Amino acid sequence: MHDFISILIVLVPALPLAAAALVAVLGPFVFRAWSHWLVVAAIGLSFLGSLVLLNDVCRRPDDRPARVVKLWNWTLVDGGAPASAQGDVGNAETAGTRAPFQIDVSLRSDALTSIMLTMVTLVSFLVAVYSIGYMHEDRGYWRFFSYIGLFVFSMTSLVSVSNFLLLFVFWEAVGVCSYLLIGFWYEKPSAAAAGMKAFLVNRVGDFGFMLGVFLIWITYGTLNFHDVVNDGGTVIAGVLGATRISAGAYVGGGVGLAICLLLLLGACGKSAQFPLHVWLPDAMEGPTPVSALIHAATMVTAGIYMITRCTPLYMASPDGQLAVAAIGGFTALLAGLIALTQFDLKRVLAYSTISQLGYMFLGLGTGTLAGISAGMFHLFTHAFFKALLFLGAGSVMHAMGNVIDMRRFGGLRRRMPHTYWTFLVGCLALSGIAPLSGFWSKDAIVASVHSKVHDLQHELSMRDSSGAYGPRTAAAGATAPAAVHPRPPRSKRQLERAANAYQWLYYMAMFTAFLTALYTFRALFMTFFGAEEIPAEAGDHAHESPRSMVVPLVVLAVFAAGVGLVLDLSYLNGTHPFAALLAKTPSLTGAVAATETLGTFHARVAAISMLIASAGVLAASYLYLGAPREVAALQEWMDFQPLLRWTDGDTIMRLGRQPWARAIRQTADRLWLGWLVNLVGLLLAVVLLVVSAPLLLGRLISPYRLSYHKFFFDEVYNAVIVGPLRAGATLCSVIDDWLIDGLVNLAGRVPLMFGSLLRSMQTGLVQFYALAMVLGGIVLLLAVDQHLSGLISQWLHHLLAFTTGVVNG
Amino acid sequence: MNDVTELAMLQNYLLIGALLFAIGMLGFIVRRNMIVVFLCAEMMLQGVALSLVGWSRYFDDWGGQMLVLFIITVAACEAAIALALILMLARQTGNLDLADWQDLREEGSPPYVDHLIPEQREPPAVWPRLTPAGKVPEVDEEALLHRDRV
Repeated sequence: MHDFISILIVLVPALPLAAAALVAVLGPFVFRAWSHWLVVAAIGLSFLGSLVLLNDVCRRPDDRPARVVKLWNWTLVDGGAPASAQGDVGNAETAGTRAPFQIDVSLRSDALTSIMLTMVTLVSFLVAVYSIGYMHEDRGYWRFFSYIGLFVFSMTSLVSVSNFLLLFVFWEAVGVCSYLLIGFWYEKPSAAAAGMKAFLVNRVGDFGFMLGVFLIWITYGTLNFHDVVNDGGTVIAGVLGATRISAGAYVGGGVGLAICLLLLLGACGKSAQFPLHVWLPDAMEGPTPVSALIHAATMVTAGIYMITRCTPLYMASPDGQLAVAAIGGFTALLAGLIALTQFDLKRVLAYSTISQLGYMFLGLGTGTLAGISAGMFHLFTHAFFKALLFLGAGSVMHAMGNVIDMRRFGGLRRRMPHTYWTFLVGCLALSGIAPLSGFWSKDAIVASVHSKVHDLQHELSMRDSSGAYGPRTAAAGATAPAAVHPRPPRSKRQLERAANAYQWLYYMAMFTAFLTALYTFRALFMTFFGAEEIPAEAGDHAHESPRSMVVPLVVLAVFAAGVGLVLDLSYLNGTHPFAALLAKTPSLTGAVAATETLGTFHARVAAISMLIASAGVLAASYLYLGAPREVAALQEWMDFQPLLRWTDGDTIMRLGRQPWARAIRQTADRLWLGWLVNLVGLLLAVVLLVVSAPLLLGRLISPYRLSYHKFFFDEVYNAVIVGPLRAGATLCSVIDDWLIDGLVNLAGRVPLMFGSLLRSMQTGLVQFYALAMVLGGIVLLLAVDQHLSGLISQWLHHLLAFTTGVVNG
Repeated sequence: MNDVTELAMLQNYLLIGALLFAIGMLGFIVRRNMIVVFLCAEMMLQGVALSLVGWSRYFDDWGGQMLVLFIITVAACEAAIALALILMLARQTGNLDLADWQDLREEGSPPYVDHLIPEQREPPAVWPRLTPAGKVPEVDEEALLHRDRV
């Protein structure tokens, strides 16, 4: 196990961690402005290591696709397992073993991991180099690089670990890094609030993820991905291990669906999908390199990675897959609509990220190898072009003195030529224009959804003709072990419903492609075209960025343009190096591999999506180039402005002054019918008002306004969730302050009150103290000595009798 | 016979001791002059010592008398300290009134002021101020003639 590759598997995450720790400790004292060197070098070495790992994975034999390195045993609790893991039923090799609760810290390397590692470390390296220029002379320079190192460690570990619990640990670790980096400029209240929001929204998703992990433990009796051979030689089948996959021992039905949905909730939180997408746009408060690295290229793809990794679980539950696809397709459309009207350049890109992540979910949701590899491929290409776009936006922001509102600058094409050209490449790639990477990956997703619909319809027609219950995979089952455990049979109605759903998702994806091109080029045109306009904040700073910022832009632009061409030109000749490599991942072997051939290049689909993207670009250039036809016109129509003008009092008055109206009036006056005309006029006005009132109210929720206000998600969440929670918290704090603290304080105040009664005795007069002592002594004496007290009382009695006698005379 | 006289003698001792103690106690409570108060305390101590001697004699046990010797020794030390304290206190206020020292009273409560006895306080002593070394003192001839302390 101590061979070179195993050490590399450990070193790839360990190097950035070591660099981060060193910079964190020595940064403020020793490194200062040189803090970046260590981190950049460590990430660079990690990247080289990842390349070696990738090479190793490519050359591994097909029967042993993954390599697992066990570092140490984290925890071991004997007999903590459920009596009999349901997943083991019918699995001779693992039946009857009571697996102890054992968590090994083990890292793995397989196709999926090494692809993610390469992508993460490469983008991180470029962004770190970019940050040298961007964060130059920031007060927290060393802190920034320390966080970046920590993030790279967490992310590389996240994709390397081979255990659900550790996956969760690093899932949280990247969340913490994200929180720290969003709130990097913590003096800004909005940045601190955004960090908090990201953390809290993610918490909802993490809760689901945690429940999902618990359910996996209960159902499968282990949390390991890989198979573990015990001391006794028995094999404990990992959840995603080869044994279980080849046996197809996965639980479907309600439990399987619950696992899928809970994991999906976790993925939705981290990857900013529909119900939990609200944190990502706010996360743009962080430094721009962070937005590029964490909130566009790497961390947000953790959800995609996790769902890809858990593919066998999703295979067992077609409804779960449909849910993934539906969430993805809906989010893609929603975010695309919102991105149309945002004026903050980074926010446009953030919504575009959400939208593209939705695409990836859609691809994964098809559940075919073509779809999953397309989703992963889109993740891969998206990382490059979205990082490129963000870094370009950061370059613009750097030059414009941190102004990011697109209405305040324009025509920067000539002033920042490098940024412009690289940004243009990114835009073309994002929009899916032909030879660039975005086209290939997005088209692959759309095509996979298309063929999924086709498959389902084919299955339906087979069912109709033969009544047989076998899914289409039976044909491929001869070679694949999937035949052992075919996908659960579904009723005809379910199939029809699924086919319909995927059909709609296909249309949504197509429409979103149009929106993508539209908003991307809107941003490009508003920023780089039109009359040159520079905000006052820029000062004399409005020039091209320094070399350390431009070089990563160029490198990323080359990747964004070339990755698709190099890797997926093969779509045309059907070799698919990326998909073939990805298919070596253990999770994607077996049932998945049997679902589908590696996908064919759908020329028709590609042509349609290309046409749609071009239409989007044209629409954007019509709206935002040249004459100001743009927002004002759009806003006018969307806000029902003409209607407002028609029902205006002035308009109606002017109408009365028209010649024809006056003519009618004069005629009526001559006939003594002036009152009738007045009445009719009044009635008309009332009718107009009544008819237009709902439309005027509708202005509040006109499409433009909905989009501009992000469909009021924040407001709705505030009202429905945050508000009641806050009210509850206030109530609790009031109860705590007044009731509970009140009782405690009361207990403290009672002795104080008694004390204050006695306090007046403290006169400070020595004689008084002496007297009190003497009197006290007498009282004590009397209390102790009954004889004496008897004597005294007798004496007092006599005294009393004597005095009464004297008084009475 | 012998026992009877012994008992009678013990009674005498105890009576005198009790009287000394009672007078001392009364004086301690009533008087305000610090020295007198201290003397009263000594008197109480001596009352106790006397009764100890009486009991010691009655039981023919020397332990009591030994104790008294210790008491006297301790009382002597105590007197030295007490007088020193009294001296310091008197220097600060210029008189021996115990009621001047009420600082241990509860914060915020008003001090006890004796309204029954009219104020007959001497003004605080004014000591001659020495001029700093190296300077010829300016001597006021009038003051030299009429100064009250030398």
